[in-house]
Amino acid sequence: MFYKVLEGVKVLEYGTLVDAPFCARILADLGAEVIKIEEPETGDESRRQEPFLGDIPGLERSGLYQYVNMNKKGITLNPRTATGYKIFSELLKQADVFIENNPVKRMKVLELNYKHVKEINPRIVMTSITPFGQTGPYKDYKGGELINESMGAVGFDSAREVDVSLEPIKLPGHIFSFQTGLGAAVGTIGAAINQTMTGHGTYLDVAEQESIMQNLHAMLRYYYYKQVCYRTDVLDRAPAHILKCKDGYIHHANMEEVQWQRFIELMGSPEWASGELFATYTSRAKFWDALKPLLEDWLKDHTMDEIYRASQDRGSAIGAVYTAKDMFTDRQLTAREFFVDIEHSENGKLKYPGVPYRFFDLPRETPAAAPQLGQHNEEIYCGRLGYTRENLAKLKEAGVI
Amino acid sequence: MSEVFLKGVRVIALTQVWAGAWTGHLLSDMGAEVIKIESSTKLELYRRGKEGLNKESHFNAYNNGVKSCTLNMKQPEAVEIFKKLVKISDVIIENLSPRAMPGFGLGYDTLKQIKPDIIMVSEPGFGSTGPDKNYISYASTVEAVGGLAASFGYLGGEPATPSIFLADPTGGMYGALCVVGAIFHHRKTGKGQHIDVAQSEAITTFLPEVIMEYSMNGRIRPRMGNRDAIMAPHSCYPCKGRDKWVAIAVGTNEEWKAMCKVMGNPEWSKDEKFADQYSRWQNQDELNKLVGSWTKDFTHYDVMHLLQKAGVAAGVSFSTKEMYNDPHVKDRGALIEKDHLEGGKVLTWRAPWKSALTAQNPTAPLFGQHNSYVFQELLGMSDAEMAKLVEQKVIY
Repeated sequence: MFYKVLEGVKVLEYGTLVDAPFCARILADLGAEVIKIEEPETGDESRRQEPFLGDIPGLERSGLYQYVNMNKKGITLNPRTATGYKIFSELLKQADVFIENNPVKRMKVLELNYKHVKEINPRIVMTSITPFGQTGPYKDYKGGELINESMGAVGFDSAREVDVSLEPIKLPGHIFSFQTGLGAAVGTIGAAINQTMTGHGTYLDVAEQESIMQNLHAMLRYYYYKQVCYRTDVLDRAPAHILKCKDGYIHHANMEEVQWQRFIELMGSPEWASGELFATYTSRAKFWDALKPLLEDWLKDHTMDEIYRASQDRGSAIGAVYTAKDMFTDRQLTAREFFVDIEHSENGKLKYPGVPYRFFDLPRETPAAAPQLGQHNEEIYCGRLGYTRENLAKLKEAGVI
Repeated sequence: MSEVFLKGVRVIALTQVWAGAWTGHLLSDMGAEVIKIESSTKLELYRRGKEGLNKESHFNAYNNGVKSCTLNMKQPEAVEIFKKLVKISDVIIENLSPRAMPGFGLGYDTLKQIKPDIIMVSEPGFGSTGPDKNYISYASTVEAVGGLAASFGYLGGEPATPSIFLADPTGGMYGALCVVGAIFHHRKTGKGQHIDVAQSEAITTFLPEVIMEYSMNGRIRPRMGNRDAIMAPHSCYPCKGRDKWVAIAVGTNEEWKAMCKVMGNPEWSKDEKFADQYSRWQNQDELNKLVGSWTKDFTHYDVMHLLQKAGVAAGVSFSTKEMYNDPHVKDRGALIEKDHLEGGKVLTWRAPWKSALTAQNPTAPLFGQHNSYVFQELLGMSDAEMAKLVEQKVIY
C-alpha cells in the first residue's frame, strides 16, 4: 500500500487485464486488503503481455501485470467446479467489496452476477466493469482498448495534427482502461462509505465506453451546439503543437499574449516576430504553417531541457515532450519521489510509477510486489477458510485451485 | 432525502475550468453538497465565454448539482466569511494556482486551526511541492511532460497531441478519489487530511507499458499507431461514406476463422502468410490493406454487427454525432440533456458508473444562485447584513 486510509476494507477481485484489476489496485494502494482470484495455471491475461523483463516472457515477468497488481494477495480458483463455487461464495461472504470485469453472460452462467452475489452477501458493494455496460443492445459485444476508444468517440478524432486520409489511431497502451478503473474506484469507495454508515450494499455498473465519454470535452459539444462532426471541421486547432528541437521535441502552448511575448524574448526577439501575421493568438493559429518553420529554425539549436526550463522560468507555457528516460531524471519527479522501488522475489528490484497523490499528514508506506500465481493460496485457504494442507493438494489435483 | 453515497458531506469548491469542477461534479453525483465559491473580480475561464455568464456550455456541462455563491476573496471580510463556512464543512477542493490559497491567508495550516478535521485536496499540474510546482500547466502541457505525447502517434511518425484532453478529467477523478478515501478514513478515525494530486503524474500512472519498457529493458517504447503487441488485424479500416471507419481487433485463431467466414473466405485469407497469429502479426501491413478492401464496401455499422455476431471484436469509430445518436448510448443514458435555467438545453454527463444510489441533481448553478442559501440559511446573516456585504463588494 501507499497510504493507510481504507484499513479493514476487504476486497475480492475477479478480473483480468487492466480496468477491474487497476480499480482493485487503487483500493489496495489506499490500504484495503485485496484478494485477487485468478484462473489456475493461466492466470491474469496481463501476465502474457509486454513488456517482459529482459524480453523473456514468463507468468511473473510482465511489467504490465506487475504494475497493475502490486499490493494485492493472489489466489487461484476455478468457480466452474462445484467446490470452487462453494469456496468463491465463502470468500464473497467475507468481503465488503467485489470487483470484476467478466463478460455479462459468463457471470450469469457462473451465478456470480449481482442477482446471485447479493443473495450470498446482501451488504456487499459489487462493481462490474465491461466494455458497454450490463444493459442495452451492445451489452454482449466484445471490446478491448481499440474498440472501446472507437465506440467512445475519442479514437475518431484522436490526433490533433490529423491527416484525414489516414486511419484514426488509438492512444498508447491501455490508457482508457486505466482511467475507467480509476473512475470505478471512486464510485466503489463512495459506495463503501455508504456501506459503513447504513450497512447497505449496492451495485455499480461501469462501462468503458461511458467512462471514455468524460474526455470528450469540446468535441461532443461542438456537435451538440454547433453541429460540427467531421475530423476536418473541428474548430479549435489552436497553436498548441509539438515542435522539433535539437535533441527531441517540445510542446508549445502559449495561449496568452504575455506567454508568447516571453517566448519571443527567449528567442532573442527575432524580427519576424513583430510582423502583422503573428500579432495575435488567432492570427498565429491561422498562419501556423508559416510560423512553425520559423520557430523550429530557432529550436533546432537548443535542447529540450534547456527550452523547457528557460521558457517556464520566464512564464512561457512550454512543456517538455518527455520519454520514460527523461522522466526518470526529471528534477520535479525526483523531488516528489514519484518513482518507487519494488523488490520482487524473482525479478529483483525495479522502479515503478508510484501514485500521483500525496497524503501529507500520513506516512507513505512501502508498496509490495504483485503476487505470484497462487502465492497466497495457503494463507487464504488454510488460514482463513480452514482447509488443511492435504485438502489444498487435493483441491489442486482436482483443478479447483 | 433518498439514500446516496455521501449523505451529509459538505464540500467547498474553489474550482475553475475542468479538473476541479469535475471533482465537484462527481462528489455531487455521490450526493455531497458542493458549494462553489466564485467572484466577479476573477471570473473563471468558463464563465467568460462568448455565450455569457450563465450560458457557457463548458461550465454548464461540468458543474452538475453544484451550488454557487460569490465571495471576493481579496476583501478581508470575505476571507472571514469563508472561514465560517469552513467551520461547517467537511472538505475543501481547489485547483487554483498553488500560490492562491496561501495568498488568501488560507493555507492548510490556517484551515486546520479553524477546523482540525478538515479534508483539503488540491489538484495542481505538477504538484504543490518540488522545484517546478509553479510551472504553467495546461492539459496538453502536463500530458507531454507526463509521457503521453512521446508515445502517441502513427508508426514511425512524429509524437502527437490528442484532440481530447485527458489530464483534466483524470486529475479531477484522482481528486475525487482522494476525497472519498479521506472521508472513509475520517469516519473511522475522525482525522482530517491535506492531499495534493499532480496531474502530470496522474497521466504517467496510466502509461506503465511505456515506463516499464524503460525500467525493465532500458528501451524507449516506439510510437505504434494502432499496432498491438500481438493482435492482428488490429486497426481502423475504411468503410462506405466520407471519413467512416471501423475498428477490428482479432486476438485468437478462432476469431480469425470467424472473421474469414464473415468475409466469405476470400482466396487471400487462405494464404499461409496469415495462417496463424504470429504470421498475421508479421504480415499485418499487407493484411490490413486486404481487410480494408473488404470493409470498404460496407457501412461501419454493418461491419461491426456482422463481426460481433460472429464473436469478433469490432466497433464503429464513432464521430461524436454518431455516438450521440447511437441506440445503445441512448438506451444507457450516460449523456444527459436537461433544461438549464438560462442556458437552454444543456448536454452533460453522469458519473462514469450506473447505480441506483446516484443522486438526481439539477444542472449547473447560475452565478451566485445560492448566495442567500449559503449566507443566510447556513451562516445566519440577516437581510440587512447581506445587503451591506453586497454593496461593499464582499459578496461579489
